[in-house]
Amino acid sequence: MNLTDKELQIQLNKPDQKAKAFSAVVRAYQERLYWHIRKMVLSHDDANDVLQNCFMKAWNGIDGFRGDSQISTWLYRIATNETLTFLANKKLRNLQSMDDVEDNLLQNLQSDHYFNGNEIQLKLQKAIITLPEKQRLVFNMKYFDDITYEKMEAILGTSVGALKASYHHAVKKIEKFFEENE
Amino acid sequence: MNSMKKQDNNRIDKIGNELPFSVPENYFENFAQQIENQIGYKSINHRFLKPWMYIAAMFVGVILVGQLFFSVYQKNSVNNNENYESYVLSQVDETALMDYYVDESTK
Repeated sequence: MNLTDKELQIQLNKPDQKAKAFSAVVRAYQERLYWHIRKMVLSHDDANDVLQNCFMKAWNGIDGFRGDSQISTWLYRIATNETLTFLANKKLRNLQSMDDVEDNLLQNLQSDHYFNGNEIQLKLQKAIITLPEKQRLVFNMKYFDDITYEKMEAILGTSVGALKASYHHAVKKIEKFFEENE
Repeated sequence: MNSMKKQDNNRIDKIGNELPFSVPENYFENFAQQIENQIGYKSINHRFLKPWMYIAAMFVGVILVGQLFFSVYQKNSVNNNENYESYVLSQVDETALMDYYVDESTK
């Protein structure tokens, strides 16, 4: 079912077509959203949980989606918010500081069955995890997905100028991490 | 800003942007079906669609190849019959053949 955004939106608004159209949305966007989430939470199991929450939230909120943004932008926004909420809840649940959560994420990463990176890639992930969450998001979206700053602005609600500066600083921090951990 | 971008790309690009993560086999197909179950939608099972397509294609192939062999066989049979007739006629001389036809016509 290869439909345009507009066609999908029309289908999503018809009660008898809604489920079929949403199924098409899930199949079209699940991978992109999964990797967006996974890069932040690192663990496959956690990414799976967040992705499920994301799509169920989207399903429950479909009637409120008016098409003022693209479906992809809308979904990315939900996925981003669900990811940040998940990380915040993790911190609350364990009564840990964000640093402890990050340490846990890293420890889990190295023993994760679904992590197959080399030494440099592991080092890069360690460097990324030292970034504040929103900066981590910006770095991941730019470096791994090459999402345009304009699209990022629509998803994150931050100006293009601020996003560019954030990315530039993220790169500098990562380089410094590599220098200090050679 | 442009020089900033160029600098960023030169340094970081050396590390590469391949993701060091993997997923369980058939994860995305199973995930989509899971969501579909939750929203009460029954889709075509894409996982089983491909094997059925192969089986159907195999049957079509067998039928087509079978038809091809059968038509070749039929053609050969006709040729064989013609060859046999020619062979038989070659064993009989013309006079005997004519006598035969004359006898047959007078019966």
